[in-house]
Amino acid sequence: MRRVIDDAAAIARARDGDLDAYGVLVARYTLRAHRAAYLLGAGEEADDVVQEAFVKAFRNLSRFRAGEPFGPWLLRIVANEAKNLSRSRRRRAALALRLPSAEPSAAAAGNPIDEALAAERRAQLVAAVNALPDRERQVLVCRYFLDLSEAETARVLAWPLGSVKSRTSRALSRLRGLLVPAEQDPVSSG
Amino acid sequence: MADRTGWQGAVESELRAVGRELAVPPASDLTAAVRQRLEGQTAGRDMPTVGAGALRRQLRWRTALVVVVALLAVLIAAPQGRAVIIHVLRFAGVELGQGPGPVPSPRSSASLPGERRMSLEQARRQVSFPILVPAALGRPGEVVVSDGGRVVSVIYRRAPYGLVRIDEFAGHLDQVYFRKFVPLSNAAKVEVNGLEGLWIKGPHELVYITRNGYSATASARLTTGNTLIWGTSQVALRLEGDLSKTAALAIASSAH
Repeated sequence: MRRVIDDAAAIARARDGDLDAYGVLVARYTLRAHRAAYLLGAGEEADDVVQEAFVKAFRNLSRFRAGEPFGPWLLRIVANEAKNLSRSRRRRAALALRLPSAEPSAAAAGNPIDEALAAERRAQLVAAVNALPDRERQVLVCRYFLDLSEAETARVLAWPLGSVKSRTSRALSRLRGLLVPAEQDPVSSG
Repeated sequence: MADRTGWQGAVESELRAVGRELAVPPASDLTAAVRQRLEGQTAGRDMPTVGAGALRRQLRWRTALVVVVALLAVLIAAPQGRAVIIHVLRFAGVELGQGPGPVPSPRSSASLPGERRMSLEQARRQVSFPILVPAALGRPGEVVVSDGGRVVSVIYRRAPYGLVRIDEFAGHLDQVYFRKFVPLSNAAKVEVNGLEGLWIKGPHELVYITRNGYSATASARLTTGNTLIWGTSQVALRLEGDLSKTAALAIASSAH
């Protein structure tokens, strides 16, 4: 019977060629990697991108620094694979992020009118994100859709931390401009 | 006062909310495929090839939840002896593994990182997911926000159940929040409000996993009673207490 092993132990063993140990990491990170690949532009080819990334990650384990978190390191490879793919594909239209067409029984409670308004607003926001320049879209995907910190985002996108910060705030400002700024104004409006 | 950070925070939290709803197609289980490719290059060992394609097609996530019930069924059907079977199962941000876990602290002093007690209303303002409260239990006795808003614990002391604890987190985001060490024969698939849930009988070792994937040692503890794990498209929950399955399901389906 096997025990569950920590990432660090699994990596150490995988480095010595233990494919069972690497299998634990694959199982543990597949969903996260898949979501990242999909949202960073791999679209329907996300599974292939993730498979490729896991194979490359295994071959490059010797470059993994002990003590570093595995997730961002892996996602950097995933992001890179996704980038290569979209470069070769050159079709962006198909990659647009979208909300599910119908939310089934998600939020049963609540006022239907509020919900309709909120849904419309979210749809606008998604459209606005889709319309952003590539890099700004990527940084928002990492920060808010993949829930990565600024430092992790810098690692995953292979950018300096300063670029992460500046592109995030530029992207947020653009979204602010695109969305109706009805509320949230500190100056009391009549 | 609330100038730049005000609107920025508002856009950020809307983005997070949208992120939870984005349509992402189901991921395939790649363990076998990756292994096959790596074995091809490591060469030498003759391994039976696992039907990766079949497994791949079998796995479908019907909701945004991280649900690996198909695998669970496979594991329950063939608990021992399968060589390459994944010994890690993930369900709504909770990872289950067989075998003994970390040694839990003997007393119930285990805690999550950065616990802060506050009112339900305050907590709602501090986390990026909706906090569900079961009507069957009424107002929570205690609300604790941990690890910078990553987990909310809603705690009750209510006859006839005694201490009941609900941990809520954005488990559908494909991150692991808790790791449990459970003989898989103690886990069973259930249905909560039409979505899949997992019922785990009996106490087991539980440890909180930080956002970097490390176990938070101070959080390791033995759970009490039984546990139910389920989720909606926006939040994952684990309910723990001295509850029968019927009572747990009734509590879960009254959560909104």
